Amino acid sequence: MTDTTNTFPAAETLPGQERYVAPIEETPLQDVDKVDESAPATSMWADAWRTLRKNPLFIVSGLLIIFIVFVALFPGVFTKIDPNYCNLDNSLGDPEAGHPFGYDFQGCDVFARTVYGTRTSLSVGILSTLIVVLVGTLIGAVAGFFGGWVDALLSRIIDIFYSIPFLLGAIVVLQMFRTSSSIWKVVLVLALFGWVSTARIARGSVMEAKNLEFNTASTALGSTPMRNLFSHIIPNAMAPIIVIGTTSLGSYIVSEATLSFLGIGLPTTTVSWGGDISQAQTNLMTNPMVLFYPSVALAITVLSFIMMGDAVKDALDPKSRTA
Amino acid sequence: MGKYLLRRILQMIPVVLGATLLVYALVFALPGDPVKAMFGDKPVNEAVAAQIRAEYNLDKPFIIQYLLFLKNALTLDFGNTFAGQPVIDEIARAFPVTIRLGIMAFCFEAIFGIIFGIISGLNKGKWYDTVILLISLLLISVPTFVTGFAGQYFLGVEWSIIPVTAGSDPGFFDLLFPAMVLGSVSMAYIIRLARSEISSNIAEDYVRTARAKGMSNGSVMVRHVLRNSLIPVVTYLGQDLGALMGGAMISEQIFNIHGVGFLTYQSILKGEGNLVVSIVTLLLLIFVICNLLVDLLYAALDPRIRYA
Repeated sequence: MTDTTNTFPAAETLPGQERYVAPIEETPLQDVDKVDESAPATSMWADAWRTLRKNPLFIVSGLLIIFIVFVALFPGVFTKIDPNYCNLDNSLGDPEAGHPFGYDFQGCDVFARTVYGTRTSLSVGILSTLIVVLVGTLIGAVAGFFGGWVDALLSRIIDIFYSIPFLLGAIVVLQMFRTSSSIWKVVLVLALFGWVSTARIARGSVMEAKNLEFNTASTALGSTPMRNLFSHIIPNAMAPIIVIGTTSLGSYIVSEATLSFLGIGLPTTTVSWGGDISQAQTNLMTNPMVLFYPSVALAITVLSFIMMGDAVKDALDPKSRTA
Repeated sequence: MGKYLLRRILQMIPVVLGATLLVYALVFALPGDPVKAMFGDKPVNEAVAAQIRAEYNLDKPFIIQYLLFLKNALTLDFGNTFAGQPVIDEIARAFPVTIRLGIMAFCFEAIFGIIFGIISGLNKGKWYDTVILLISLLLISVPTFVTGFAGQYFLGVEWSIIPVTAGSDPGFFDLLFPAMVLGSVSMAYIIRLARSEISSNIAEDYVRTARAKGMSNGSVMVRHVLRNSLIPVVTYLGQDLGALMGGAMISEQIFNIHGVGFLTYQSILKGEGNLVVSIVTLLLLIFVICNLLVDLLYAALDPRIRYA
């Protein structure tokens, strides 16, 4: 073997040979294939996490979200005032010591209501997102994985839900549950009209992952289609679903506020930003600040989740990486 | 092309039927008896009530009611409201206003969304790119009704630049600000979409090839980068045109514009099931047709897509 290679002179073009061919000794094969075993093993998620940690967008939105979750869990740390204690003597009263945001029309403390409203908005957002991601991924994955008539049927159902304007559909459904006073009705309505976009994305991404080699390899090793779907295909198709989930969490919070603004969302007995904004609009001309505080709280929360979604998207999808 | 069109139209039929059936079922299940409500405080005369029920087909089983509704809808006969007005008249009064509002919002979001998206995408990292991004993030995270109220308060009441409410027969200037509010969130999404598309397309190989061929920077941008970047934007715009009509409810509510959203909201509150179903059916049709047009437009923008 070594004899034959050595008979060729190095770096010299032979007759009939169009290109320069490097002699084998120049690039030892074992070096080409050498894997740096001292480097830590990276999966797609580990790689994404490394990118995320360095992204200022992620750090800022992450800290904001931690703070918001803390406020939602322990509102009592921030205010000792009961948000439902209202005294009409204080109606639209100016800020004073211990009541930095003043009072609303009913004479309730605006600061306390803004703090306690966090829990409502966050619960609605998180619960809706969880249901949407679960249901949407499952239906989309089944449609994309099985194809054929299952896909045709599920895709038509997705089209039907997709073609109903969200606000109109939500109002009609919520009107049916007018008497109910739980936040679940709003969560379920948001999920009912929200699962479609996740399902569409899950379907596309499962169809893509289905044809990758690891799937054939796993089948060759004897795994069943179901096992393939749940332990290989879905985990590999999760990236776009996580991105849309994070971003839509913010938009569900906005939708909840919009429905409460129209007077058909959360009951007035629940302390919520949407409800408070809706209440404050009647006195907008004289006391705009009552509307201002819950709106700012709402905007910061939504902004944090959208920024987080952007950061996660940058990390999971290197093609769209900003800057 | 003809075959594709036919197949798409055939696929639309089950979607429209399914969606109207779903909405009809939901409206049918609304609590409260509208016939009883018509009597107000007066005692209900059972004979009259039965007659009214028969007139509106309320005495028949649900599925028969739905089929009767479909049959009449095909001839544009949507029946009467409980006040005795033909539904089609109510719709004919409200639709032009909303269509005007929707088209204005559409032009606003398309023009400004694409312009700012291009500026931002071509100048990534510059200070005005950051400003544009921040404003678009703000527009997305502040709910439309807050943007609407803030604008109404500052521009309308404090500085009197815009009319505070629009009234029954609004003109261009009455609708200008409501249309901006209606289109603002979508505009922000278009900016973000156009920006990320342009900046990822600039890095593509075909751009380098075009430059290597000696094409000027301007024509590389217009003929290659923009054309490729705008395809997802056109999809978004097409889907949004239908959604704007349905989403006009908030703007119409704030600025007292008597359009479709206003009418729908009022009829849902009054339990005018007939009117609600009719409007939603029409909106559905607009939405589905818009989506079809977008798909056809693809072929014009992207030569790789040719429908056999």
